[in-house]
Amino acid sequence: MIEFRDVTYIHENGVKALDGITMQMDAGETIAIVGENGAGKTTLIKHVTGLLKPTSGAVLVDGVNTRETSTATLSRKVGIAFQNPDHQLFSESVQEEIAFALKNFGFPPDLVEKRVTWGLQLFGLEEYKESSPLILSGGEKKRLTLACILAWDPEVVILDEPTVGQDAIQKEKLAGTIKMLGSTGKTVVVVSHDIEFLWPLQPRVVVMKSGRIVADGPAPELMTKKEMLESARVAEPQLVSFYQALSRRPESPFVDALEARLWIEEGEASHRGGSAVT
Amino acid sequence: MMWLSSGFIFRKGASRYHRLDPRVKLLVSVLMFVTALIVRSIFQLAIVLAFMVAVAAIATVLKRVARTMALTATFSALIFIINVVFTRNLETSALYASRFVAIVVSTSLFFITTSPDELEQVMKMFRLPRDVVFAFVTAVRFIPVMMLDALQIMDAQKSRGLELEKGNLLRRVRNMIPILIPLVVNAVVRSGELAEAMESRAYGAVPRPTSLAVYRAKTVDRVVAVAAVLTFAFTAYSFYFLLPTFVP
Repeated sequence: MIEFRDVTYIHENGVKALDGITMQMDAGETIAIVGENGAGKTTLIKHVTGLLKPTSGAVLVDGVNTRETSTATLSRKVGIAFQNPDHQLFSESVQEEIAFALKNFGFPPDLVEKRVTWGLQLFGLEEYKESSPLILSGGEKKRLTLACILAWDPEVVILDEPTVGQDAIQKEKLAGTIKMLGSTGKTVVVVSHDIEFLWPLQPRVVVMKSGRIVADGPAPELMTKKEMLESARVAEPQLVSFYQALSRRPESPFVDALEARLWIEEGEASHRGGSAVT
Repeated sequence: MMWLSSGFIFRKGASRYHRLDPRVKLLVSVLMFVTALIVRSIFQLAIVLAFMVAVAAIATVLKRVARTMALTATFSALIFIINVVFTRNLETSALYASRFVAIVVSTSLFFITTSPDELEQVMKMFRLPRDVVFAFVTAVRFIPVMMLDALQIMDAQKSRGLELEKGNLLRRVRNMIPILIPLVVNAVVRSGELAEAMESRAYGAVPRPTSLAVYRAKTVDRVVAVAAVLTFAFTAYSFYFLLPTFVP
């Protein structure tokens, strides 16, 4: 689906933002890109829609080199919701804002209306549909930008720091939306510092540091490597820390996950009056 | 935007020119600016431009100045064409067009080697009202921020299928609306937030606030200032009485 072939990107001021990135993102994958500020995460995703062209190497989207096509063409397949919603909201009303991209892509009016309604409902914005997007709260603006992207149903959805300004319930809803997108075969790329948000999604995790990929693998495997995560200035999930802290204490009631499960099942069985698991 | 970024935005430098008293750098730039205005031939202007390039080399900003000159060339070419049309004199047109480059470079040399803090001190020394100084320096300081905002807004809108370079002139102007509205709204919101932040940090609490840095001219500053004035006087005299001139 998306392929980075030895991609290096050097900014105008000479700073190397990406250094020999080679990776592949397949259809239906949910991928989390993590790393400290300045690691190159946003630079990496901007290459997918051709907003940035590699200094050397190539980025292919569905086999098409991003050098050889326009951002507008690539955007039909790849939707990016950028970090700061204030950087894109300009329309007179919320529904006009969602319709903007659909009109740019030449959707017929009845489909535009359907998609706008769907987007408003999905992100709980129906009551604001006639309001100016500029008067929404930070969290609502963020949801609106996500609705704007999902409305045209791109094959790849890239979310840059989607949880900023979202409360716990909205984060949960967002996680549900990401899972739903994944289940419909879409590739979802989430750039985030919010490890607690990413952990339940159990995505493939790409850890970046200084423009390089330092680790790439499934979440359960990578998120337990504390030293590697700390070297990339990423905190491990609290659940992993909690479990590891318990396992280090000999006096703790259980020392590993299996024993903990047995302990819980034993408790449940005795509560029901049945026999304990042995 | 490249033109603005390359030619007028300060970046830290370690050259001796950067370390000069900002008042001296202002004096050098003003004298170069005035010299560019009083030249009477393209030959004289070439000497002034060569001097500016030498100053840029000393300040280790030659690359940026060269880029500014190249980017200014577009406007310069326009000035040349308009003058050729109206004056029908190639030499006068070339002089006016090159003079524009010299004026931009002399101004640029001051701004790219003087930090906003130094600029603030210089303006205060001229006893300009504090609010005016603060507004001007803040505007200068926020140019790079606004530019970054503009680039990010363009990226966001292009990712929603907006094609800025598509269509006729009217369509292209209309395409700028999704860029300009967020840019202006962000600027207004930011200015409100900045005002609140400044007031909450006691801006305006006393009529004459103290300064973190107090500039005192060193020997090198005095020497450069005197040398600049003498060079200007000699150049002006030479241009009018010694060197061959071209007067259309």
